[in-house]
Amino acid sequence: MGNIVVLVKASLNPEIVRQNPDGTFDIDYTPLKISDVDRNALEEAARLRQVFGGKVYSVTVLTWGPLRAREKDLRLAVQEALAKVADEAFVVADESIIPGDYTVTANVIAAVIKKMGLNPSLILAGEASIDESTYQIPGRVAAKLGLPYVGYVKRIREVRGDRLVVERDLEDYIEVLEVPLPAVLSVTQEVNEPRPPTLIQIRMASRKPIHMLTLKDLGLDVKRQRSILDMRVVTVSRKQVLIEEASMEKAALKLVEYLEKEGVLRF
Amino acid sequence: MGNVIVVSQRPSDAGELVGLARSIGDPVIVAFQDSAERVEELLSYGYKVYRVKSSRPEVLAKAISTLYNELKPKLIVGPNTRNVKDAMAWVAGLHDIHMAPDVAGVRVEPDGIVYKRGFLSERVTMTVKAPYPAIILVNPRVAEPAPREGVGELIELNVGDTMVRVLEVKAKELSGVNLEAAEVIVGVGRGFKAKEDLSMAFELAKLLGGQVGGTRPIAADLKWLPEDAWIGISGKRVAPKLYIAIGISGAPQHMSGVSGSKVIVAVNKDKSAPIFKQADYGVVADLYKFIPALIDVLKRRRGST
Ligand SMILES: Cc1cc2nc3c(=O)[nH]c(=O)nc-3n(C[C@H](O)[C@H](O)[C@H](O)COP(=O)(O)OP(=O)(O)OC[C@H]3O[C@@H](n4cnc5c(N)ncnc54)[C@H](O)[C@@H]3O)c2cc1C
Repeated sequence: MGNIVVLVKASLNPEIVRQNPDGTFDIDYTPLKISDVDRNALEEAARLRQVFGGKVYSVTVLTWGPLRAREKDLRLAVQEALAKVADEAFVVADESIIPGDYTVTANVIAAVIKKMGLNPSLILAGEASIDESTYQIPGRVAAKLGLPYVGYVKRIREVRGDRLVVERDLEDYIEVLEVPLPAVLSVTQEVNEPRPPTLIQIRMASRKPIHMLTLKDLGLDVKRQRSILDMRVVTVSRKQVLIEEASMEKAALKLVEYLEKEGVLRF
Repeated sequence: MGNVIVVSQRPSDAGELVGLARSIGDPVIVAFQDSAERVEELLSYGYKVYRVKSSRPEVLAKAISTLYNELKPKLIVGPNTRNVKDAMAWVAGLHDIHMAPDVAGVRVEPDGIVYKRGFLSERVTMTVKAPYPAIILVNPRVAEPAPREGVGELIELNVGDTMVRVLEVKAKELSGVNLEAAEVIVGVGRGFKAKEDLSMAFELAKLLGGQVGGTRPIAADLKWLPEDAWIGISGKRVAPKLYIAIGISGAPQHMSGVSGSKVIVAVNKDKSAPIFKQADYGVVADLYKFIPALIDVLKRRRGST
């Protein structure tokens, strides 16, 4: 039926947030990792590839610099996509689009898909990235390519000819939808249980092609719209008192005593 | 006329959005989904109301896109629902304009909008300036609600059909629990091995006069709790006096939902669990041994007073 494109982001890792002495966010020293929900998108691609019968491509746009310092993290994320399911990876790393901008990223992804002739029947993405979490890139890409878009897919039920039947997860209800292909879907964490790639898959991945691209290769000239004025680390000042007791009763008594002092227990 | 488009999905979201829009320019309202069914409430703000009788984001997107071409607005504002996010992403992509959801503060400048939003599960606050036109989806309580003292004009917007077909709509089973108002919340995570074991958490919550909430995997994936008990960046944001996290690792996406708690207690058997760095009191213990002991102590204490 056709090819599958999976959007994979190397996101800043929210578990390792580095701070400058003046309280601003030290973006350059905060590592990147594959955005968690993209693993669900890759797993779904692996599940569907038999039915689709075509190739699987991953597309990654680097949004955080400095470029040289990001090479290793970027490679790890892309190699996970290759190990898991992708036959080829397309990576756009270009100083001129760092730091990222949503309009720019969407234009770049759409350009990769068109100019590289990926010709997808399905484009899969995670519902949101773990750094910016703006939930907008898949929808933007769909608009740019003139394709239908369904966000928050929690289950791909079946492939019915050139259509998919999916469940879309809303705040207080679920929609069962029939989507004509080609289409763009964003999936939630509940869509599947991603399995890490096996050792053999990881070894095979090193032989698969990674196409490194710049805006020039894509013949693209897009302007960043936002200027980031400030990024400040939110300080958590919790007391961090540890209670370690062999006797559970003692531990419980200690905790209750602390909580009474805090005035948060009512009897 | 109409240089700020206000998108409303539920009548209750409109007041603050219209309030914000009025402080920036001249609003028109687009009534979608529930709001399209109850336009009288929206007409009372005294502005033009365009009705989009649909619950499909692509229909909303097409309607906004049509209005966008006609009115050339400088700003589109809306609530942070999944439907509105999806629709606005599409509009932003089609017209190549800046869009930001989950905005926690806005300032208007002559040459652009300055806004604040959480970044990295709200561990970082980002301040951004973007040129007009832009799309901003705003959190509750960012703006003062507008007064309802006018008579607006109703205009029906028909933009045709969609490529996506709705086969079925299933309501979710929600418990109606109001975690936002709870003073004590017992939070449960994947440290619990079976749904039945949550009875310990419910007993503890009852003793403390509180409610039970949980992490995303517990509510959305395992469905051991209803989805309105899901706490975190993609669930509820809570601010109890006491939050007791049991068998929860402390992922940033969960912790951003409880950052407003006065006191945070963590119970986890893994001493290196990240939650201990984000808690006031951390008990390093197996929950299956510790929670029954805590319940015992509380019962005795209560009996003696
Ligand atoms: C875009 C996105 C949005 C998300 N939104 C949310 C959200 O809104 N809310 C949310 O909660 N998560 C959210 N997540 C998921 C989040 O990243 C974590 O996966 C999740 O919070 C982990 O849940 P947990 O702590 O219950 O499970 P785990 O991380 O598996 O932690 C279980 C913990 O229990 C401890 N444990 C195990 N056995 C015992 C025992 N016997 N006694 C004591 N302790 C024990 C373990 O040591 C471990 O620390 C989101 C993720 C993404 C990518």
